[in-house]
Amino acid sequence: MINSLMRRFHIPPRDQWRATISKIIDDRVRIITAGLSIKELRAVMRGDPPTEKPNPRYKVITTSFIAHLRPRYYPAAATWFTHTFRLGFFTTFFFVVEVITGVILMVYYIPFPDQAYGSILEIESNVFFGELLRDIHRLGAEAMVIFSWLHLLRTYFTGSYKGPRTFTWLTGVILLLITAWLSFTGYLLPWDQLAYWAVTVGTSITESGPVVGPALNLLMRGAPDIGTGGLLRFYLQHVILFPLLAILFISVHYYKVSREHSISLPAVVEEGNVDPEKKKEANRRIDLIPDLLSHELFLIALGIFIMLVILYFRLFVSPLETHANPQQTPLDTKAPWYFWWLQGLLKIDPAAILESMVNPIFAAFGLGFRLEVSQLLNSKFIMGLIVPPTLVLILMAIPYIDRNPSRLARKRPFAIAWGVAWIFVFLALSFMGTPEYGIETPAATRIVQDLAPEEGEGPLRSIPYEELHNRQAEFIVGQDYGTDLCPGLAYQPDPEGDVNNVVVGCPHLTEVFNIFSERLLEAQADGRLPEMTAKLSVEQFQADLVNVTPHVEWTDPATGKHQTYQHTYFLHADRATEE
Amino acid sequence: MKRIQLEIVLGTILVLLSAAIVIVLGIREPARLAQYEVQQRAEQIEFGASVFTTNCVRCHGSQAQGIAGVAPGLRDEYFFTQRLAEVGWQGGLEDYIISVVTTGRQVSTRPELYAGATGTRPVMPTWSEKFGGPLRDDQIRAVAAFIMNFEPYALGQVPTLQPLGPVADESTPEGRGQVVFATAGCAACHTISGISSGNIGPGLDGLATRAADSVTGLTAEEYIHQSIVDPSAYVVEGFADGLMPQNFAEILTEEQIADLVAFLLTLQ
Repeated sequence: MINSLMRRFHIPPRDQWRATISKIIDDRVRIITAGLSIKELRAVMRGDPPTEKPNPRYKVITTSFIAHLRPRYYPAAATWFTHTFRLGFFTTFFFVVEVITGVILMVYYIPFPDQAYGSILEIESNVFFGELLRDIHRLGAEAMVIFSWLHLLRTYFTGSYKGPRTFTWLTGVILLLITAWLSFTGYLLPWDQLAYWAVTVGTSITESGPVVGPALNLLMRGAPDIGTGGLLRFYLQHVILFPLLAILFISVHYYKVSREHSISLPAVVEEGNVDPEKKKEANRRIDLIPDLLSHELFLIALGIFIMLVILYFRLFVSPLETHANPQQTPLDTKAPWYFWWLQGLLKIDPAAILESMVNPIFAAFGLGFRLEVSQLLNSKFIMGLIVPPTLVLILMAIPYIDRNPSRLARKRPFAIAWGVAWIFVFLALSFMGTPEYGIETPAATRIVQDLAPEEGEGPLRSIPYEELHNRQAEFIVGQDYGTDLCPGLAYQPDPEGDVNNVVVGCPHLTEVFNIFSERLLEAQADGRLPEMTAKLSVEQFQADLVNVTPHVEWTDPATGKHQTYQHTYFLHADRATEE
Repeated sequence: MKRIQLEIVLGTILVLLSAAIVIVLGIREPARLAQYEVQQRAEQIEFGASVFTTNCVRCHGSQAQGIAGVAPGLRDEYFFTQRLAEVGWQGGLEDYIISVVTTGRQVSTRPELYAGATGTRPVMPTWSEKFGGPLRDDQIRAVAAFIMNFEPYALGQVPTLQPLGPVADESTPEGRGQVVFATAGCAACHTISGISSGNIGPGLDGLATRAADSVTGLTAEEYIHQSIVDPSAYVVEGFADGLMPQNFAEILTEEQIADLVAFLLTLQ
């Protein structure tokens, strides 16, 4: 009876069960792994040679769609760490991180000016792991920009852009532009002051263009000012248009690497005088399975781990400033750091430079003629619309400009020097792009704003609330208050913590008042604030809210008029402090 | 150990460590979310305080204490416990504040106490930019959060404001000037004993006696007139330039200014 049933259902006799089951499992494993048996899989994990012939590991590459995108092998020298530093790999890694976190963030984000900022607060305060997600997305974006630049520099200095890889270089430069634009469009989405003004300043560059300039500006902003339309345009570019373009160009770029030209060999191996034994080793095949794959999985694990460590120790926190306010231009408008060089360029006035160079010569020759070109050479137009695209075009054309066939560094000293020089030019321009350079702010405003910047915390806002509660005082600059402004005060900085941990007096408030006094007296001494009188007052506003008001009066040295600057800051007991 | 094995072992360790970090963060996450919300509320109150001081103090007083004849105080027990019942509002107080600030109030509910008696006096204007006002929604919500933060203080506070001090006789210029003083917002910043209690600008008791000596070359009348229409021409010592609105010459008629000067000249 049992035997007939077993025959009927093709069940083999008991002594063959073990073999049959392992064959069934093996078949399934071969299907899942696209061609590897269990035995083979074990060999792969151990780094042993293939167990079958022909090599089943190559079969995976022909059967699996995902694996077919990859090369079968790279020559050993192309995988040397000091040759590539895995920069292209990590750029792609961060792109994938951005796509995954970005798709989840899209669930919570609302691209509408009334609600955008609120939805970011909601992500931070009401979504489990919401802050982590946003931090990863923001950190990944910055890392992607950094790694794509480093990848470009590496390719330049190893001469890898030279034929036959000229087209790969071109797609790489386009990817750099796409990366920058993806970052920039994402910058606007939180709809805070930082975002709003960086993008307003950024898009205003196009306005100076001839004929189509204003139309182009309108096209980007969706209205004369960035509003509902502008935010939606940037959002759609950020989540649809440019990710698709990035995927397209990454595919082309990677296809050229994986299928057509492989990764370039180090120039020493390709051209240098290396002994045949070493050359043979350099050309040894490193297979995708298992060597490249295991290495890449390791790099992914490493990348994720490093990101999490950075975020765990809060070495990076995504910025979120106050709600965008079109009526209030911040004192320091700051572009994202990777556009500082552009902001630096915009601070150069070519007309003034030309005039200052040419006019003394005219004067020396006694010519009654002065060059006046400031109307003609608009700084925003030249430095914002002419120079950057020209630089990009030069960057794209490098493989066609540089006709030197050699890739060895010592045989292309001019190219290396040119590259190093550009790095310094960019660093210098970036420095010029920071608000510290070339922008004069009235002394009293600067001093007060340094204590309590419009955005971020600053020393004044980091005064613990305990030092201000019921203080009700006016501290006059120039008066001697001894070493502490609040004798008799003692408080516990952490009410739930150690009871012996007590702060005596108000060191933070004293510190802020001392900085305030010192800088004002300094400005008075060097003539910026003649006849200065100033005070710092603290008042209780509500049961758990105080106002702190720095107040400065002086006589303006230029006009002789009496001037006043004061600003009231409100500090609540529960406010977040960065400590 | 071969390189591949080393990478597999290290990779596995890194994955486990990453998972550990995520688990630790996950355990802390509910506390972090709660704390973020508290801090967020604190920052909203701070922001609301700054919106309040730039927009609302002219009528509701620098401390939200209210100004007789203009606008009610917002930090007394009556406001926090009885106001909703009086106007028949079904929802919460914070929503009520948001609603009133957003759409304003076209008709006064207490014309005997505050502005709006004759229909010509200003009542609460519409503040939302949706209805032509200057404030965004998030600013209005912040102001509401700030006013709600008066609650612990307000409970136990009786409204201190009485109807406008000595009742003005509107048939005389001085009497009409007193009404202008109360309704144009002057009372929010300037103290006159028995009439107003603002503390942002200089007190006006005894103004008539000292006005003549304030600026050489100007009579008391000329000086007061100048201080209203061009407040920066002379700024009283100890007060910042620019605090006083510069647009009274535009929002008041010449006749109203004359009445106001006449009223201020009675302050011996």
